[in-house]
Amino acid sequence: MRLSSLGFLLHEAWLNIRRNGLMSLATLGTVTVALTVLGASLWTIFRLSEYAQFQPRRFDRIDLFLLPDVSRERAETLRDQIAHLPGVARVRLIPREQAWADLQASEPLLTEALEENPLPDKLEVEVRDIAQIQAIAHNFRDQTAYPDVERVVDAGEAVRVMLGLARVVKVVGGSASAGLFIATLFLVYNTIRLTVFARRREIRTMQLVGATPGFIRLPLLLEGLFHGVVGALLASGILLLCAREVSRFVASLRSPLIGDVPSLLSPWHVPAVLVALGALIGLVGSYLAIRRFLRPI
Amino acid sequence: MIQLQNVTVNYGNEWIALYQVSLCVNKGEFVFIVGPTGAGKSTLLKLLYREETATQGTVRVAGHDLNHMPSREVPLFRRRLGIVFQDFGLLPNKTVYENVAFALRVTGESSRTIRRKVPHVLEMVGLAHRPDAFPHQLSGGEQQRVAIARALVNDPPLLLADEPTGNLDPDTSLGIVQLLHHINVRGTTVIVATHDHTIVDRMQRRVVALERGRLVRDDQQGAYRPLLMLSEPMRS
Ligand SMILES: Nc1ncnc2c1ncn2[C@@H]1O[C@H](COP(=O)(O)OP(=O)(O)OP(=O)(O)O)[C@@H](O)[C@H]1O
Ligand SMILES: [Mg+2]
Repeated sequence: MRLSSLGFLLHEAWLNIRRNGLMSLATLGTVTVALTVLGASLWTIFRLSEYAQFQPRRFDRIDLFLLPDVSRERAETLRDQIAHLPGVARVRLIPREQAWADLQASEPLLTEALEENPLPDKLEVEVRDIAQIQAIAHNFRDQTAYPDVERVVDAGEAVRVMLGLARVVKVVGGSASAGLFIATLFLVYNTIRLTVFARRREIRTMQLVGATPGFIRLPLLLEGLFHGVVGALLASGILLLCAREVSRFVASLRSPLIGDVPSLLSPWHVPAVLVALGALIGLVGSYLAIRRFLRPI
Repeated sequence: MIQLQNVTVNYGNEWIALYQVSLCVNKGEFVFIVGPTGAGKSTLLKLLYREETATQGTVRVAGHDLNHMPSREVPLFRRRLGIVFQDFGLLPNKTVYENVAFALRVTGESSRTIRRKVPHVLEMVGLAHRPDAFPHQLSGGEQQRVAIARALVNDPPLLLADEPTGNLDPDTSLGIVQLLHHINVRGTTVIVATHDHTIVDRMQRRVVALERGRLVRDDQQGAYRPLLMLSEPMRS
């Protein structure tokens, strides 16, 4: 293809977009909405699985609160004994003085009101496999085996919920976004097919005056690409605005469960991923649509 | 230039649009194809630019066997024809100028050549004053002249025109036919399908008559109606 033809075909694509104003707007709107939904779900899933992976770290621990009259040596012996149990990764002894100091630092009003330290010594037991945490915690509750332990606190139900959530998010979210991707592709294909269908007489005329299939196809492909990319940029704008509001809202909740989970995503990733998806969807969608109507005659 | 041998065209399984038509047109000839509505005139022209293919028989145009032409070669073949479609076939989103230029664009012609040739043919068909109008802003006759300009802009060796005067007043029709004649004199083979008596009778060129898909008459210097039929009312 000659250079002058290439320039012409680029210009063609642009003129088509401008002169089919309403149809272009409809296509652009569809692509934008579809990509916004797809992008929002991909992003949500990504963030949720980041949370799900982050949370269990706080729950892979069993706290053993010892009786007030247990001596420091007995506490240390117990610590070493538990450290050798199967399934236990590490044990830390938190002396009551240290726990009190920590509390004073984090909740000064509370400690002032209490005056005296009511806290017992504490053993923090980290388990190797989170799935076994309940079984291990159950052993510590046996009064005859661990007479010095007054109270056993494990994440219990919460751990199971978090683990389940992590799995559900991955499976359901993964297949949902795959489905959504296909739906978006189909939606865009259908919209572009409509534009191409509306121009089938035009396409026939072009063929009859001697235009090659490539000559007819290229502007239409460029049109699809344009709609995909511009739709993706609009969708990114919408998503980033929404994300800002959502994170403000989440921060305003001040929930201890939703701490600052660091994200691998920077704001630049959103338009980058969406533009790539949009370009792919636009090109594939218009290619499929054109193939349907560009029969040699 | 054109050889048709026992050509039959069926639409679907039932309808026979052309039946056993044989026709030979030499380079440089001017031929009218006449006949009542539905006789198969457009079908015959479509065969020549390969929008339709023969169900039976052979079609040869400019040395190509159209029945066995690979679809890859069809666009190149069509670029060497000038075609005026019965429905004009203008691109609705393009201006008059762009419509005419498109026929040159597909051949990869340079913008310079296009800027030189397009105003020239628009001048020839009398539309030089409206290059920026869109087809829907033009009258039927004006659209038809755009279609003619597009067919001429390539200087094609073979010009196929389906009802090129269908929407024109008698004076303009004559102007168009004289234009076609002029082009024919310069060496282009011209085939015109029409039911316009006036121009056929006036031109006194070769007339091929179709009736219900059959070739019923082929006069070297004919009128729209055969002389026999003209004399019939007198006899009775
Ligand atoms: N695509 C088609 N499918 C089925 N039948 C068709 C098709 N095209 C044409 N025909 C039929 O073939 C016959 C010949 O049609 P054609 O268009 O060649 O006639 P025509 O001589 O050009 O008529 P007109 O003077 O009205 O233009 C008609 O009876 C028409 O109904
Ligand atoms: Mg016709």
